[in-house]
Parts: sequence; C-alpha cells; structure tokens
Amino acid sequence: MGWSRPTIRRIDGVDAMSGEWIVETHDLVKKYGEHIALDSVNLNIRPGATGLLGPNGAGKSTLLKTVLGLIALTSGSGKVLGHDIATEGAKIRQRIGYMPEYDCLIPDMEAIHQVRYAGELLGMNSNSAVQRAHEVLEYVGLRDQRYRAVSTFSTGMEQATKLACSLIHDPDLLICDEPTNGLDATARGFMLDTLFQVVKQGGRSIIMSSHLMDDVERICDRMLMIHKGQVIAQGRIEDLKAIDREIEISVWGGASRIEEKLKDMGQSVRRTGRVMRITRSDESTYGTIIQAAAETDVQIRKMEDYEPSLEDLFIVIMDRLGYSVKSSKDLLDGPTPTMDQAALQGRKVA
Amino acid sequence: MSENDDFNIEDILAESSSELPAPAPTTTLPIPASPSEAEFMGESGAVTGKARMEAAYGTGDGEGQGTAMVAQSATVQAGTIFHQIYRPWRGNLNPRWARNWSIFRHHVYGLFSKGHRPWPMTTKLFVVIVLFGSLLPIITMAMSVLTGLSGLMDFYGVSRANLWGHVLGVFHNTCCWPLLTALVVGGLISEDRQHGTSAIYFSRPITRTDYTLMKYLSAAVILSMIIVFSYCAYYAAAIILNNEGWAYLLDTFPFFLGGLVAAVMLVVTFTSIGLALSSLSSGRFFPAVAFLGIIFGSRILAFLIKLLFDRDTLYLLSPYDNLAHVGQWMMGLNTTYDFPAAWSFVALLLMNGVSLYMLISRVNSLEVTRE
Repeated sequence: MGWSRPTIRRIDGVDAMSGEWIVETHDLVKKYGEHIALDSVNLNIRPGATGLLGPNGAGKSTLLKTVLGLIALTSGSGKVLGHDIATEGAKIRQRIGYMPEYDCLIPDMEAIHQVRYAGELLGMNSNSAVQRAHEVLEYVGLRDQRYRAVSTFSTGMEQATKLACSLIHDPDLLICDEPTNGLDATARGFMLDTLFQVVKQGGRSIIMSSHLMDDVERICDRMLMIHKGQVIAQGRIEDLKAIDREIEISVWGGASRIEEKLKDMGQSVRRTGRVMRITRSDESTYGTIIQAAAETDVQIRKMEDYEPSLEDLFIVIMDRLGYSVKSSKDLLDGPTPTMDQAALQGRKVA
Repeated sequence: MSENDDFNIEDILAESSSELPAPAPTTTLPIPASPSEAEFMGESGAVTGKARMEAAYGTGDGEGQGTAMVAQSATVQAGTIFHQIYRPWRGNLNPRWARNWSIFRHHVYGLFSKGHRPWPMTTKLFVVIVLFGSLLPIITMAMSVLTGLSGLMDFYGVSRANLWGHVLGVFHNTCCWPLLTALVVGGLISEDRQHGTSAIYFSRPITRTDYTLMKYLSAAVILSMIIVFSYCAYYAAAIILNNEGWAYLLDTFPFFLGGLVAAVMLVVTFTSIGLALSSLSSGRFFPAVAFLGIIFGSRILAFLIKLLFDRDTLYLLSPYDNLAHVGQWMMGLNTTYDFPAAWSFVALLLMNGVSLYMLISRVNSLEVTRE
C-alpha cells in the first residue's frame, strides 16, 4: 500500500512573522514559587546579532528557555520567529539552533555522527543529515577531525562541534550560550569570526549570552541587559553608549587639584592617575574643563572625546542601578549584589 | 518559493551564488602550470577530460610533473580552512515520527553498528553471550535429534515447566536477565544527565514524552530481542526439530502464549524499574548496581524471612517472585507461593506504576540550560 511521508515545510526568513522582530514579548512573568525569575519582560529583538548580558541569577537562562518555548509562563505573551511561545514551542525549536554553554556531546561518538544525530533529532532524514554534517563540520573548521571521537577533542573543537550541531538545519535564529567559554585566544578568535560570518554572510540572527564584553561587542550590534528578571537596557550598542559620553583628559602638575575643582564645579569625574574622564553633558563641558585647568594652574596635555567600550557601558549602567563595581567581572562572575527593588524600578536605563 | 514547492537545487545554487561573496584568497597550493589546464577550466578548446586524467595518472604531456596531487596535499597544514563559506540548507524537516525513530534507531542500532549510540564493549559482549546462552536448549534439542539420544529431548524439550523456566527460571533470572537489564538500561538516561546530552534533545522539537517513550521502547526492544526472541525460537525449534503437527501445536500453544505474556511482563517490569533508577542518577554504575540490589536483595530478604518465620508474604516485594508467581498461574503450573497470584499481579502493577511515576518526574527535571 502506498503512503506518503508527511513533511513540514520550513518557513524561511522573517517574512512569516507578525512584524520586524524575531523575538517580541509582552509583560512576560515567570515565577518559581515566590521567586520571580522574569518580571514583566518586554522584549523587541530585531534580526541580526544581539548580546544578552546580565549577572548570575539575573534570569538569562530562564529567558533563553522562554525563547526556546520550553517553559510555561506565569503570565504574558510573546512570539519567536512569528510563533507563539506558549503554544508553538516545537515549531520554534525547529527553526532555532541552540548552542549550550556546557557539555552536551556524547563523548565516544565521532563528530560526524554526533552532528548527524543532532540533525536527525530535528527531523532531517538521515542522508540529508550526513551530507549537511560534512558541510557544517567543514565550516566550523573540523573537516579533518570529523571522524574523531568527541572525547579526544580539545575544548575549542568541542565548542566547534556544538556550533556545528546547532547549525546543521540552517536555523533562522542561533542562540549561543557562552560560545567562547574556556577557549584560548586562537580558538576564541576563530569562533567569533565564524559566528560573525553566520550573521553577516549567512544572514542569520544570533542571540549570544556571554560574560565577555569584548566578545559581545565584536559580534553584536545590539544588546539586551537583564537584571533581577527585568530588562534594564536594550537597543543598539552605539545608541546605548550615548548615555555615557565622556571627555578624556591627560593632565600634568596637580591632577588632584583639577579633580577637586571639577567636582566643585558640578562635574562627574572618574580618575586613574593623570588620566581623567569627565561626563560630557553638553558643549559647555569643554569650556568648564579648560576653566578648571586655568584656575588650578594645571596643564592639559591631551583632551578628546572618549569612545566608551561595552565594558564601560555596563559599569555605568550598574553604577546607575546603585552598584559600585570596578569591572563587569566583579558583577558577572561573583554572587549577585543586593539592592533595593525600589532603586531598580526608579533607575531603569531604557 | 511557496510552502508546497519542491526542493529545487537550481534555485538554491542561484541564490547562494548571488548572496555569497567570492572566497578570500588563501593559501595557494604549488600547482604546477600545465598548458592543458586551461581546457579543464573551460577557457579554451574542447572539454576532453584529458587534463583530469593527466592529474590522476600522470600520463601524456605532463608526465614529468606526475607527482603533483600527492605532493601538494602534504604541503597543506592539517585543519586549514580554505573557504569558510556559510551554505544555506533548504531541505524539509520531517515530523514527529521521524524524530522519534531517530532516537529509537540511535539506541538499538548502536548495538550492531558504528555511528549510533556507543555502547560499551562489555555490554555488547554480554548481549551476545546471553543470546547464545539462551539459545542453548535449541542446540541441545538439535543434538538430541541428530544423535538419537531421546533423554536430551525429554530434558530440554517443550513442556509447561520448560517454557516457564526459559523466561522465569531461577538460572536465567540469576545469571542472565537481571545482569543484561542492568547493563542495557543502566546508562540510558543517567548518561544524558552526566554528559548534558539532554540539552541536545530538549533544545530540539523533542518533547519529554517522546524522549521517555523512545528510551523505554529502545530498552524494551533490546531486552525483547534476547528474552522474547530466544523464547519464541525455542518453541519454534522444538516444533521443527521434532517434526510436530497441528495437534502438538494446539496442545502446547496456550502454554506458549502464557509464557510469551510472562516474558513481555518481565521485559516491561525490568525496563520500568531499570529506567526509573537510571533517571535518578548521573552515571551508569549506580542504576546498574541498584537494579541488581532490588532484584536480588528482595529475593534474598524474602527467602530469609520465609526460612526463619515460615511467612512468604514478603515475596510480594520481589519483582522476580511476583513475575514468577503470575507466570506459574498463567501457564497452569502449581504455584510455589502461599498467597493468591492476584496479589502478585497487583504488586507488579504497583511496582510498574511507581517506577513510571519516578521516571516521568525525573525526566521532567532534566535541564536544557544548566543553572
């Protein structure tokens, strides 16, 4: 008796979505008992590369599981690639490639079969999965190692295999959880280049969670920062940097004097030795600095607009939330500092 | 391209060639210049394939440069990326049954071929040994027929007790089935927890129900391949070797069916308990040892209580004894237990129920993201 195989046709691109967002959520709330993991999260993520930042316990993992359509929400609604996150989890996961942070590979399996199996679990037929596995393993730089057992791989090669597993079905959205975790400089550079190519050359979207600001800045043009289950900043990194325009000066002969003077004149000053950064409120800030230098008899040897890095942006945002941190590492790697919920509510950056 | 359009390689090639930039120049291999190469590249002249032959066999005009291909590959550093180009894939994704089939195949085919679940060599060896061991009565019956020693056939031939014993006999349930189950089922879920492989499943459109069902089915089928298959083979061999007719078949088939149901119950119960233990742990050692502990420990405990106090109600705690009791009842054998077989049946249902509840709740706790 003849019978036909039912198939699901992939809907390519973002045309099928309700709008221009790959992820959009409205007032998402997820509670685990009394603990609020996600608190009224409103997201609008455009196609492209988006960095996901936040301290430990901020709700990143819960958010990723929400995007994957894996958890039942307490309230709120949302869509990922045009599919409802509450009811169409399976369809969402067919179009998403997820690269976990931790080990997820079967140690004694050869890379080619590992990647093929990852494809079969998505519904690819075996022949297509094998063919595609060869392609993606070559793409991630494991062409010559594809018949080696995963247990013999270095960390970089394992990460590359995980990336190949997530790319096998050519997903519309790639979710990478700490993709450069544990990699040396060379492997890290290659991984970031590869991810960059997936976005720029492949035209795919990435949501990348990372503790390394440099990595996020290198790949992503947008960022999303969550803290205590709330979105505290989202948008283009360049736009967000505008909240922290500074003027950097190098002084000679009385750095402390000019620092005091500038503070007396109502300026916000950050100082490291003879280099200071003054928050640029408007054009008059330049005049104020020169006036302060003249009055304190201090030489200004260099004065320029300072282009903040993502690291600076992160610190500024956290400062505004009431934390005093020297670097993102303090906050991201250590235990989550406590702060008043009222302060958090009142100091949202975006 | 509409949703119902078929896969068209031409469209994809055209699209990919328009989307992708030309690859950046990278490491250049020292390919010797050959006048006939232009033909190969289609720059001039007729395409004859001559240059390709020269490259392969070093014949014709380019004989002096015949070492080209082998020598070139040696100059390339291992793992060097020449053209890292993202290639789109526009195939179809099959629905749920195909995904479930891939899980089933991954586990079952792994016993026989490479590229699927890497079963430990000890497990594979034990499966083969137990399979051959359970087929020994067939060999003995064959020898009896060949040599004319009817005693062997009387001893190993089909009877109620022998059919029961093949599935539920003490020897098989001491040396074969529990050890086989411990080795097969021990790491099925626990190793996913240990290696984080659950993320591979649950970040894809695999539901926890599908995952659990397919793991269960895989384990049950592997056990059935030994226990149920050897049982059926034993019965079939007895009919064929003794050249039995319909009367024999009608006479013995009810017992055979009773034994078959008992074998399926044994496979189901052992799989339920084994998988529940596997879902509790991260590693294959604990579930295997715990399974053997439950099977043998409950038997020994019940036996000691019976010996000391002449009360055999504690056999209700032993999965094997419950199965043996129900099996005796189904095959019309005299029962060796003082309580009704219905109690054993209810105990079996409870054991399976509790095991499945544990299994489901533990599978629900498997994470995609580790926190």
